[in-house]
Amino acid sequence: MKRRSLIAGAATLPLVAVVRDRTARAATPLKIGLLEDVSGDLAIFGIPKLHGSQLAVDEINAGGGIMGRPIQLMHLDPQGDNARYQEFARRLLQREKVDVLIGGITSASREAIRPIVDRADAFYIYTNQYEGGVCDANMVSVGAVPEQQIATLVPYMVEKFGKRVYTVAADYNFGHLSAEWGRSVLKPLGAEVVGEEFIPLGVSQFAQTIQNIQKARPDWLYMLNVGAAQNSFFEQAAAAKLNLPMGSPIKIMLGFEHKLFPPPALANMYATANWFEELDTPEADAFKKRWHAKFPTETYINDMGYNAYVAVYMYKMLAERAKSTKKEELRKVIATGNAGIDAPEGHITIDPKSQHTSHRMRLLRVDEHHAVHVVKDFGVIEPYWLGQVGCDLTKSDPKEQYTPDHLPKKG
Amino acid sequence: MFQRLNGPQTLGNGRGFWIGALAVFAVAVAFPAVADPYDVGNFAYFLIWIFMALGLCLMWGYGGMLSFGQTFFFGLGGYGYGVIEINIGAAHGGSLAALVLAVSVAALAAAILGYFMIYGRIGGVFFGIVTLSTTLALAAFVGQTAGPEWTVGTARLNGFNGMQGMSSLQLPWFGRDIDLEESALYYFLLVLLAATYVGLRLLVNSRFGNVLVAIREDPQRAELLGYDVRRYQLVTFVIGSLLAGLSGALYTAWGQFITPSSIGLPAAAMPIVWVAFAGRSDLTATFVGTFVLLFAFQTITIYSEQSALVLMGLLLVATVLFAPRGLMVGVGQSLARYSARRGG
Amino acid sequence: MSGDLFSYVYQFADVFAFLVLSAAGLAIIFGMMGIINMAHGEFIMCGVYVTSATYHMGLPLVLAQACGTAAAGLVGVVLEYLVIRPLYARPLDSLLVTLGVSLIATQGTLVILGSTFPGIGTPLGSFDVGVYTFSTYRMVLFAAAIGVLGFVYVLFMRTGFGVQARATMQNAAMARALGVPTSRIYALSFGIGAALAGLCGALYAPTMNLIPTMGAGFIVEAFVTVVVGGASVLLGTAPAAAVLAIIRSGLNAWYGQVIGQIGLLIAVILIVRVLPSGFSGWLARRSAS
Repeated sequence: MKRRSLIAGAATLPLVAVVRDRTARAATPLKIGLLEDVSGDLAIFGIPKLHGSQLAVDEINAGGGIMGRPIQLMHLDPQGDNARYQEFARRLLQREKVDVLIGGITSASREAIRPIVDRADAFYIYTNQYEGGVCDANMVSVGAVPEQQIATLVPYMVEKFGKRVYTVAADYNFGHLSAEWGRSVLKPLGAEVVGEEFIPLGVSQFAQTIQNIQKARPDWLYMLNVGAAQNSFFEQAAAAKLNLPMGSPIKIMLGFEHKLFPPPALANMYATANWFEELDTPEADAFKKRWHAKFPTETYINDMGYNAYVAVYMYKMLAERAKSTKKEELRKVIATGNAGIDAPEGHITIDPKSQHTSHRMRLLRVDEHHAVHVVKDFGVIEPYWLGQVGCDLTKSDPKEQYTPDHLPKKG
Repeated sequence: MFQRLNGPQTLGNGRGFWIGALAVFAVAVAFPAVADPYDVGNFAYFLIWIFMALGLCLMWGYGGMLSFGQTFFFGLGGYGYGVIEINIGAAHGGSLAALVLAVSVAALAAAILGYFMIYGRIGGVFFGIVTLSTTLALAAFVGQTAGPEWTVGTARLNGFNGMQGMSSLQLPWFGRDIDLEESALYYFLLVLLAATYVGLRLLVNSRFGNVLVAIREDPQRAELLGYDVRRYQLVTFVIGSLLAGLSGALYTAWGQFITPSSIGLPAAAMPIVWVAFAGRSDLTATFVGTFVLLFAFQTITIYSEQSALVLMGLLLVATVLFAPRGLMVGVGQSLARYSARRGG
Repeated sequence: MSGDLFSYVYQFADVFAFLVLSAAGLAIIFGMMGIINMAHGEFIMCGVYVTSATYHMGLPLVLAQACGTAAAGLVGVVLEYLVIRPLYARPLDSLLVTLGVSLIATQGTLVILGSTFPGIGTPLGSFDVGVYTFSTYRMVLFAAAIGVLGFVYVLFMRTGFGVQARATMQNAAMARALGVPTSRIYALSFGIGAALAGLCGALYAPTMNLIPTMGAGFIVEAFVTVVVGGASVLLGTAPAAAVLAIIRSGLNAWYGQVIGQIGLLIAVILIVRVLPSGFSGWLARRSAS
């Protein structure tokens, strides 16, 4: 409190040179570089992400900053263009010399900036749920990964609805890998993929897919479609009275489809999430209240925006415990294995081997009026897959993205 | 030599122009000594794109062929560089060999596609649409190569997430390799670009260039005068597309990364925007204008957040309405008029 | 079995409707004026947004769709006056201007209205054939596509405007000399093209997710249909859409959407190689000889 009033006083009394110099030195801003798309196709996700970061920074600055240093948030808008991601990551790291780089939406944007981050040996936090597998000491991931989202969702769906599954996936890396994850979880359960369809990004017409599904007669649909255009599937499937239960690791909490489509297009959608706005624990309610007070027109606080908020607090915890912003010092804190914070979802921790984050996972269901119900709480789930296949960042730093068909070499 | 650089097909032929050009080149050479390393790297990045703009200027401005497919060759050059470099390694000139081979792949593809179109008498708007379809088809194809089966040697194409793991350019230099990054890359690109510019000026001011412009103005008359119109067009198409392949290979080496979004829309429209904005009828205008526009678009995006794309749209509309021959050609002509008035 | 047979017909009709509706407006503007309208997708988006906004204000869907169509047409007329008219002599430059307009429109919509817009549920329910259920509304889309083709035929072949428009298209200078008000014809053509784009948006609004960049989802199909069709809407668009719909729906059904999309683009390249001025050029030559 005392320091804050001193800073405020200095700002209003610029003539008191001595005081100003002292506080200025004590309060060299800590720079956070942020890359989020607030223009173009991905703005629907980028805008809540920017808001999440802004809210966290405001709160932390109001509480005295990080180690007494106020945070300066430097946001650039790459407009959904991978080349702009490259340009702006360079700018933030080399020109602005930011202490940490946060952001990126698609996996392509993350892979675009990772070589630049690695070359600068900087500290980077990726804030989206994704297909998993990045084993890179310069990167911390705070979003959920398949072992948290898919290994929980799929067994529940099989038990509840049956063993015949139809997969509708976006035809790119996330879709293929998540479909692969689904198959590997389904196999030991004796379940069968009766149809699998990959849809090019940007396709918005699904009459053929709907017919294929009807022909295959699945018990439920495993939905991995991505993007605004592909979301048109839900309206078109509802219009054709497909009426099948759907399970997805990405719907509802990311794109809030249940808020955009009139009911009942999303009825019977089941999704696993570490965050969704309907979560109503006291911590979550307080967080939502603060968010809506600052951004009253926000349609929905999505998972990405929430993760962006959490990432800043995660960084604060790391820096304060390390008493430094140096990557090596921050990683020493991660290596202790108890680098965690109390987030609105619950207590979450960074795993030292993979530098991914544990999450409290919940299963939610959308009803015919598009209300969301929590049907199961899985508790906290560790990001265990990378460690299992042999990524251990405390020992070596391969800077690779591993997939089930591209595993670390043994030995 | 100097005589051949000048002629009716280029603006800026006088002594004053060349003194100015040399001065600009000297400033560019001295620039890394005084500038922030970030700016040097950033300018080097802009230079990468100018090759494909010059290529389009040659095809469209001089040859009358509006190719919407520069990104097709950009993609072939980029992915070609990645695949070859990953397989042969960067050491001992390997990355330079990969660069040359990747550009050759783009040139070969240009020869095939160009033969198909030009000898199939596809012209005008249809030329643009076929090239656009080609680049969209390549983007869609590469986009679906996420699986492990899409591997060439040890290089994975890796679908929409993009190909990675290639090394930057390494220049063999007396037994050791110089990593071409930041200012080293800048000088490499500066020399390459200056050579390309001079080469293209020699080309358009030669007999070949005169015939090419004649074909643009009236292909039938040129044919009746005995010129093999289609051969001239094909050679032009190959040179222009090859430069796009060069841009692609250099871009991939620069960022050690390339994705299909560099091949599809809206990337495909960008070279056309640059060249039209700058003034397609002249190489110098395209060179300068593309650089200015890349710099302006980046600066606008940094400082104006969400309104950046709106401002770019307005800039485009205003240029077309108020500077019909392109901004740089307009500026060049008023400069010429001014100096003529002063001289006379 | 009858379900499967009907399914093929339905899929063909669905792709055909999508191609015709998304291409009709572009085809009129290209055929009449030689302009490649890069803002075509944004006229579609305009139709979608106005339809949804007026629907949520309480208008019945059909009236809301009429509003969407009219709004896009109106915007088209204004735009023609402001930025297209100065460029009649430079059709390639109009490509750049409309590209600029497209950037301004998508990003302006995002800044003003936000990144999402409320959707409209698909009306009319569904019907069964064999084991399959089909959305009834998509049959309406097919009927609308046929309606649009009929409208274009009547407009150009049976009205005074049509005669003047065809004269302008064949030889603008001659038409002007004979007293045809060519600039009014151009303005009207552009407006009609924009309104047809708006109609496409209005019709698809209840089936899609609404975002500012949604127009891009129609663009590729619209362009390839127009190119394969050639300069004449009457002779070109319908056969082009039919051929492409057979290719696309066939590949979709047997090899999936990825091959469907790539196959469509390759088919376009091959067709243009064989018929360098599209179907209409080929048909016109055949009927001439």
